[in-house]
Parts: sequence; structure tokens; C-alpha cells
Amino acid sequence: MQLSINWLRDYLLKADVKIDASELAEKLTMRGIQVGAIRQPSAGLESVVVGRIEKIEPHPNADRLQVTKVIISAEEGAERLQIVCGAKNIAEGDLVPVALVGASLPGGIRIKQSAIRGVDSSGMLCSAKELGVAEDGEGILQLPKHAKLGDPVSRLLGAQQSEDTILELELTANRADLLSVIGLAREVAPLLKTKLREPKAYRFPASQHRTSSVIKVEVDDTACCPRYVARIIDELKVGPSPEWIQARLESVGLRPINNIVDITNFVMYEYGQPLHAFDLRRISSGTVRIGPCKEAQDFTLLDGKVVKLEPGDILIFDGDRPIALAGIMGGLNSQVEADTTAILLESAAFMPQQIRKTAKRLGLSSDASKRFEKASDLAVVAVAGDRAAELLQEAYNANVYHPAIDTNEFGAKEPVLALDMRDIRRIAGIHTVSVETVAELLETIGISSHRKSTNVLSVRLPTFRQDLKESVDLVEEVARLIGYDSIPLKYPQSSAMYDRVDESRYEFEHRSKHLLAAMGLRETIHYSFTSEDNLARFGLLNENRVVIQNPINEDMKVMRTSLLPSLLQTYSHNHNRQIRDQRLFEVGNIYRSEPKAETRVKEVLHAGVLISGHCIPPSWMGDERKVDFYQAKGLLELFLKQLTSITPTFEPMQDSRLFHPHRSAILKLGPKEIGAIGEIHPVVRDNTLGTKESVVLFEISLAALRKFERVGVKYKAPSKFPAVEFDLAFLIDREISGQSVDESIRQSAGELLSDVAVFDNYEGDRIAAGKRSVGFRLSFTSNDRTLQDDEITSLRKKIVDAVREKHGAQLRE
Amino acid sequence: MIDNIQRIQDEARSRISSAPDTGELERLRVHYLGKKGLITAMLAQLRDLTPDKRKEAGALLNRVKGEFETFFTSRQGELESHQVAEELKKTPRIDVTLPGVSVASTGSLHPITKVTQEAVHALRRVGFSVAPGPEVELEYYNFEALNTPEHHPARDMQDTFYIEKPVLLRSHTSSVQIRAMKAMKPPLQIISVGKVYRSDYDQTHTPMFHQIEGLMVDETVSFSDLKGVMHYLIKELFGARPLRFRPSFFPFVEPGAEVDMLWGDSKEKKGKPPSPSDWLEIGGCGMVHPNVLRAVGYDPDRFSGFAFGMGLERIAMIKYGIGDIRSYFENDRRMLEQF
Repeated sequence: MQLSINWLRDYLLKADVKIDASELAEKLTMRGIQVGAIRQPSAGLESVVVGRIEKIEPHPNADRLQVTKVIISAEEGAERLQIVCGAKNIAEGDLVPVALVGASLPGGIRIKQSAIRGVDSSGMLCSAKELGVAEDGEGILQLPKHAKLGDPVSRLLGAQQSEDTILELELTANRADLLSVIGLAREVAPLLKTKLREPKAYRFPASQHRTSSVIKVEVDDTACCPRYVARIIDELKVGPSPEWIQARLESVGLRPINNIVDITNFVMYEYGQPLHAFDLRRISSGTVRIGPCKEAQDFTLLDGKVVKLEPGDILIFDGDRPIALAGIMGGLNSQVEADTTAILLESAAFMPQQIRKTAKRLGLSSDASKRFEKASDLAVVAVAGDRAAELLQEAYNANVYHPAIDTNEFGAKEPVLALDMRDIRRIAGIHTVSVETVAELLETIGISSHRKSTNVLSVRLPTFRQDLKESVDLVEEVARLIGYDSIPLKYPQSSAMYDRVDESRYEFEHRSKHLLAAMGLRETIHYSFTSEDNLARFGLLNENRVVIQNPINEDMKVMRTSLLPSLLQTYSHNHNRQIRDQRLFEVGNIYRSEPKAETRVKEVLHAGVLISGHCIPPSWMGDERKVDFYQAKGLLELFLKQLTSITPTFEPMQDSRLFHPHRSAILKLGPKEIGAIGEIHPVVRDNTLGTKESVVLFEISLAALRKFERVGVKYKAPSKFPAVEFDLAFLIDREISGQSVDESIRQSAGELLSDVAVFDNYEGDRIAAGKRSVGFRLSFTSNDRTLQDDEITSLRKKIVDAVREKHGAQLRE
Repeated sequence: MIDNIQRIQDEARSRISSAPDTGELERLRVHYLGKKGLITAMLAQLRDLTPDKRKEAGALLNRVKGEFETFFTSRQGELESHQVAEELKKTPRIDVTLPGVSVASTGSLHPITKVTQEAVHALRRVGFSVAPGPEVELEYYNFEALNTPEHHPARDMQDTFYIEKPVLLRSHTSSVQIRAMKAMKPPLQIISVGKVYRSDYDQTHTPMFHQIEGLMVDETVSFSDLKGVMHYLIKELFGARPLRFRPSFFPFVEPGAEVDMLWGDSKEKKGKPPSPSDWLEIGGCGMVHPNVLRAVGYDPDRFSGFAFGMGLERIAMIKYGIGDIRSYFENDRRMLEQF
């Protein structure tokens, strides 16, 4: 909403009160009416003067440009300025705004002496938009014939506007009353220590023309249309509206069109009540009917666009023929035309929810629909219609039928609400107000009340404040009027702090993040959605994916089923910027559909890790080392050990489009898959990433790990007795997993075994093909004695026998 | 015997002081002082002497033994420092100015995680605890129970992503308020934090961002308490800063407010009143709307509460000076490594 200070003055009792725009903006902002910007439309227009185009020639070097000769003085032999112009709507003899060299226009353009495609240009011919007097308006602004050459154009744009200031307001959704100059004046008046100048009541002379003698109005459903006021106005001639109305409209960015449109727009801005005019010739049945659409049908709007109506949309009918989409836009079949002389002027209220629903579905949001989407002030429905009729009568001597038809003359109710001072204390924390002060405060914004008891005020809710429904709404009004800054500050105390929520999920998530960061990885955060392609290319687009119905674009359409594609995208982003040796992680949700879940979607907390390039970067010392499967596995094992009490198994991955077929594994906990780890598939590396670095990834379900979180510590005293160590190297078939041999060792060694570590893994010339040698270092300790040689010898034999028997392994001596 | 002792003494002195290395020295120590050494043997022979002689010879032997020990220690020291000197000759001085070689690198937390943890930490200290809630939500928790029925103009404030009506991606963390209040009886004091989604994508908006929200309900909670908590939280996050509370509208609070923090260089501004652009909007808040309390079965005549919410990207933006909101999710390492 744009508020013109000059227009505002029309509704202030002290119309000439001094107004400092920035001070007012500050005060309004602190009253909850946020001022986004302050504009002075005339600023910069001092050096824009009236000029006449004497000559137009084509530009020698550019088809789209013309070279004009312009005079800005009526004197004999006045200098002709040469100005290059791109607009087509000019002719010799036109009076146009000329921005002289040195002018700076409201839009920020500075006019300099210049040459455009080789032709000198000393100024600029301006459009209404460039002058900041209209939001659109292509083409050079044509000035009226009476304009005097050389005069500043600001004078022509209306004396008022030239000195006007516009406040651009960012209104909240609840305050429908502020979508009008009168409503804003009501809030502004007390801030300027004056009062609202209530608009006068409109009276029309008794007329033998009664609207009801020509047409009937029927409302099918009063919920759809709680009030409908229809009035016939004839002896009209469509033409331009009065200049003062045009100036008002232009000041708030509306383009004047004709008297009927302009006056209805003017009243909409003034009262917040949208109006609609039908050409009376098109209402042939004699009955205007308002009701919901019964069946789907096409309807042509006055802009020629055809929309699909659905049952429930509120329509205005001529008999049974729809002529307007109520509250949103009229129909082509009933619009006012150039030769219209009689209109039916509609002022109405419609069901806000339905207007919003229809407007949203059809993508037809307008100044009118935005107002109808909020609860209407039923009182103003009649007043606004009268106002428009009066303006048409005053300016054009049109014939106003009187009275109008009103479907709900007594529709505007003013309910009474009790406001208890104890609620102001209890909710707002304001302890110092009396019934009397509160009454005075409310009165300043037009809310009347009377004292019911020491603590209770009986408040009459005015029709223009449909947002006030219960006592807490009045508490807010009082707090707002006193000023939130006057509310004292205190620190709460509540027993709630001793009754805490179970925070374990948050804790686990953040513990994981800290741990991964401590392991040298950098945290990343990615969008939760990605493109189907980005999942499909890695074979991750499974059928239980979750798809967004109304995505912003295809890249943000499906909820992630894995964290790894995003990590790879970030990898590429950084890799393309010559960043190597990346170590990244993310902790976040993946999503899958789960019919049994409350939302039919299950969110699973995952951790994803990517490492690339080197784990020991090349340096002057020379001993660089590249990352590989085992580096990532080392990180994963460390992570699991720190965080949980479990050891998952690693099974070779069967087939994957993301991971290297021979250098990847599935993580399992019992039969349950809880993650995956591996080097990137060579195809992904070469084609998708286009990198020569090694890239290794893993992803694991933190949700699955959380059940096994290592909580608390159970201390085991270290043994006082020395450990005994020995090595065993086994020759095994290369397909036998190290983990299975490890398990056999542990099973056969018994409880004295304190540690097993792999110290060697060899295959090559020194041993038979298809075999490999794995070396284990075993440590034994007892808590109660020094282990004896014979004890160790027999344990060693037992282990060797077991491994030999189970895996056909041969001990290498 | 005494002669014998003196002879051994002379001989040992010369042998110890000329021992070429620590190995030889150790052999000499064993030869003289070991369990089967000469001195030990002579000490054993003392009991064969007459008491007079025994006393004299004993004293002498003990003196000699002590002297030997001192000799050994000092020769040991000589030999050792000699050996170290020899070894150092073989290892020349390194260039200490060459760069170190990294054996471990530190990782980092994302700036959003950092501000999340800071804010959560601060709020926990004054009694709030983190309540869980899903990102994929039902309209009921995201809108209806929060006094925002279907076709309410306030729904325009948040263009929402839908999975399939009534399932949506939560447009704010306030949905957790309803879940928490339905699960617990008052009083309660909770934080809700995490990702939220709105269909908005331009220079200043990303379709996913993060919010933190606090909710407190008890019998005597008023706007004054809300002010106290907001002042505390901002002080913890940014240092003590003037705040202002502007009336505003969110369907689920009444009275509702937006909070602005005075930013900018205070030194330059000394004495001058702040200009409108010095106030940075940092969040919305208000007293829980009675309709919300009714929706969760709390008695609005008995209980009152406040709620506040802030965008974490915005907090990080102000705190760290990150200009472009989209850079949070681009994860450029040169950004990440600054945190």
C-alpha cells in the first residue's frame, strides 16, 4: 500500500498539520505499520521542462532510434536541442518532457551530454515511468496542449503531487482497514496530535428513479455475499476523470483510464472498498443474482482471458448468465464500453475465504481481490457506493438512482467485548493502566468503550476492525498504543526448567557432528531436495522416494534418498575451483515414503563423508599418500568406536553405479544394511566428476546407530601383569575375508586375548597365485597372573589349528 | 688386608679413569662392586679378622667402596657426554625454517551449526530444552493448530511446499510447538530448531533455511518475560545491544512483535539518534494466541506463554558478515575453512 501524504491530509481534521515524513514513518513503524520506504516523486524533476518537438529524422546509424530537434522556449530564434530518442510514439509538434543535461531522474538516471551511436544528444525525452509518476507507461509522456514551453513539468503533474511524499507501507495480513486512506488517517491522526476528519455522509436528492424499479437483486447464499448494494447511474458519458482524481491515482502508482474506472479505483483506495461497474445494457434479465457457481464452466474475463470456473466460485449473474467473477474481475460480456451511458454500480462484501481460494487457483490477484480476501467492513459497503455515485454526479452531472438496492441494510454489527485490566497485566505485563486510560487510548483510534467496573471496560468493536475478535486482540491494541517499548522487562522463572524434554536425538546428532569435525572433516549443508536425474545417475532413485508436488524447479523436486549425490556436487564445485584434497561431511536427513507413518514419510538421520586426493599431501619431505578405501574405513571405524558399542560387518558390494565394483562394501548390523562405503566408480570419476583424484565416500544411518550409542563409561582396571605378543601369518585363498579369519582367531583364543591387529597383507611373486598372506599380531594378558610360556604355546597351537581347519589356512613360519 | 685394599684402590682408580667406554666401565663396576666383586668379597672376609683389625679394615673398605661409587658415577658422566658429543657430530643441524608437515588436519562445523549450537547452548542455560519434530509435517501442526486455517491470508506469508495435501514441508519450526504441547502438560520451556522450507528463491531467499524457536508456557508468563529472554539471548549471541519491539502480526501470537537490534558502529554515531537502517530485524515473537492454547488443550485463562523465532542464516549473516544467503549451501571450501 502506498500512502500519499497529500491525500492523507484530506482526512485530517488539521489538514495543514506539519508532517515530517521520516518522523511519521518511525512512529508508524513502532505502531506496527511498517514503512518500507519514503519517496518524493518530484525530487529530481526540477531540470525536466516542457519542450516541443520541431523535427524528427531517422538516426543514420540505428534503425530503432530517431534524432529529434526540440525547443524549450517560445522566443524567436530559440536554441534547438538535438536529442536522440528510442520511442516511437512521437510526432513533430508534440509537447513532451525534456530532461536537460544535468538532470537526475527519480529512477536514478543522470542526464549527460553524450553521443548515441555517433550522433550528439543533449538531453532526454521522458516517459511517465522515467519521471516516476507512474509504475508503467512506455513511450514518451504527452503533455497537454496548454503547457508552456520551458516550464518545469512538475507543475503540470499537479501542484499537489509535485510536493507530495509517498510512504510505501508493508502492511500485516490482519489489518484490512489499513488498505485505505481513511483507515490510515485514523491511525495517523493521533500520531500527529490531530483527529480523523470523518468523511461526510452522502445524501442524494429524492428521485423518482429508484434502482428497485428497474432491477431486482437476489442473493442465493448470504454466506457467499453478506451484503450487496446495487445502484443505477445514468446520463453518463465515458471520458477522462477529473484531474485531481487522476493526480491522486498517479501519486499511488495507478494509471488513469477513464472516469468510471478511475472513480471506482479512487474510492477503493479511499475507503478500502472495491467497486465494480456493469454496463446496464448488458443486464437484460432485470435480475442481478449472486451465488456460487454450480458446475464447472468457462468464463471470459473483461481482459479477454478465459478461465475455468469451478463449483463454489462466487459469481454475479444476469438472471442465469454469469457476468462477473465476484470480487476478482468482471466479465467481458458486461464491461463498461466507450459508449456506455448507464451503469449498475456494485458495492459488496463476499466470503473472504472463497475469494482467496478462487483468486489463488486462477492466479488472479488484484487490488480488489486482496481487499476482498479479508473480512469486509459491512458498514463501508454502502458508504463507498454512495461516494462513487456522488463523485460521478458532481463531476458529470450524472443521474443517480436513489435509493440503491441494499440486501442487508442493518448488516454492520458492532459487538461488545469485555476487556479486563487483569488480562492486560497478565498477558502484556503492563501493570500501570487504569480503565480510564485504556478507554482514552482506544478512543484515539476510533474504538469506543465504557467503564463496567474498576477492572473491566466494555468495548464496542467498530465494524472497520474485523481483526478484533477476542479480548487478547484488545490487549494487543492497548500494548501497541502504549508502545511495546514501555512494557517492563523481567526474567522468567518457571519450574519447567527442572522438567526437561528428552534431548537425546539433538545430542546424538551434534555429538556426531563434533566427532566428524574432530576427525578433520569439514561440515557441509545441502538442500534436502535434488533433481531426479541427480539420484537416477547413481541408481539412487528408488520407488519409495518422496516427491514435492509444487517444486521451484526440476533441480529441487525430489527429497534426498542419500546424502552422497550432494556431497559429490560440492566436490565438483570445489574441484572446479582448483581445490584438492577435500574432506567433507554432512549430517542430515534422508527421506522415504512409509505408508504407516503419520505423514507417510520417514525421515532418517544419516551421516555422509567424502574424502579425496591425498591424506598426506605431497610436501618437500616426499612421502605423500593418496586416500583409498582403507583411509575412509579407518575414519568410519574410528567414528563407530567413539560413538557406539557396535562393530558392523563389511560385505563386498554387489553392484553399484556410484561405487567402485571391487573397492566398496555394504555395512551390516546383523541382517540390516546400515550404510555403504567405497571408492568412487571409475565411470563416475571420469564422466560425472571429471577428476583424476581418488574419491572415497561413505554413508551411514545415524538413526540405526543411535540405539547403540555408547553412553557412560564402565571402567576396567588395566592389568598389572605384562602382555605377551606373538605374530601369526597365514597363507589363505585370496577370496577368504580377513574379517572371517580374525573372527576365528578371536573365537579360538578365548578370553586371554586382548587384541588382534593385521600387520601384513601380501600377495605376489613370493607366494602361489590365488593365495595371499595375512599377518596377525596377537596380544594376551591376564588380570590375575603373569602368563606362562607353556600356556601361550598351547593357545598358539589351538588358534593355528582352528584357522587351518576353518579356512584351509597354512601357517607361514 | 689393609695393604691389599690400598693396592686394589690404586689399581681401580687408574682403571676406572681410563675406561674407554660405558661397557668397560660396567665390567669394572661388576669386577669391584658386583655381588662377586673384589670389594664385596673382602667385606665378607672381615668376619675372619680380630675385632680391632675388623674395625679398621671395615672402615677403610666402606670408605673405598663409597669412593669407587663416586668414581664410577663421574666417569660414567664423562663417558656419556663424550658419546652424545660424538653422536651429535654425526647429525647436522636441520633447517628449522622449512614448513612443518601435516600429519592431521582439523575439520570444521558449518556456520549454521555453529550459531545453532550457540543459541541452543544459551537457551539451555536458562531452562529451555530441545524438543524434536519432523520436517515433513501435517497441515494441522504447521497451520491449523497455529490459528492459521485454510484460506487465511496469513498463509500467503509462507508459500509452502506440499508433498501431497495435507502433508507438507514445514514452513517454520512452530509446528514443533503444537507437538510438544500436545505431548506435555504445562509448564514447559522448549526449543525447536532445524530446517524449514518455503517456495522462495532469489538473492535474499533460499527454499530451505534454518530456524530456532523458543516457547515457554506457565501460569504467570507475560510479554515482560519474553522481553527478558530476548534481551538475554541477543546478549549471548551478539553482546549487549539495544533492542526494540515493534507490533507485528503472526497468526499464532497475540500480541505479536518483530524484534530489531541496533547494529552499526556506535562510536561514529555518538550522540546521534539511530537512523532506521541501523535497526536490523532479527526475529518475530509474541504471546501465544489463546486459540493455539485451546488447540492443544491448555486453558488460556490459566496459562499464558510466549514464543519467539529467528532465522539462523540471518544470525550467521550478521555475526560473520556473510553477504549472500546462497553461499551457505554452496559449501565452497574457502568459506567452510573460515569456521
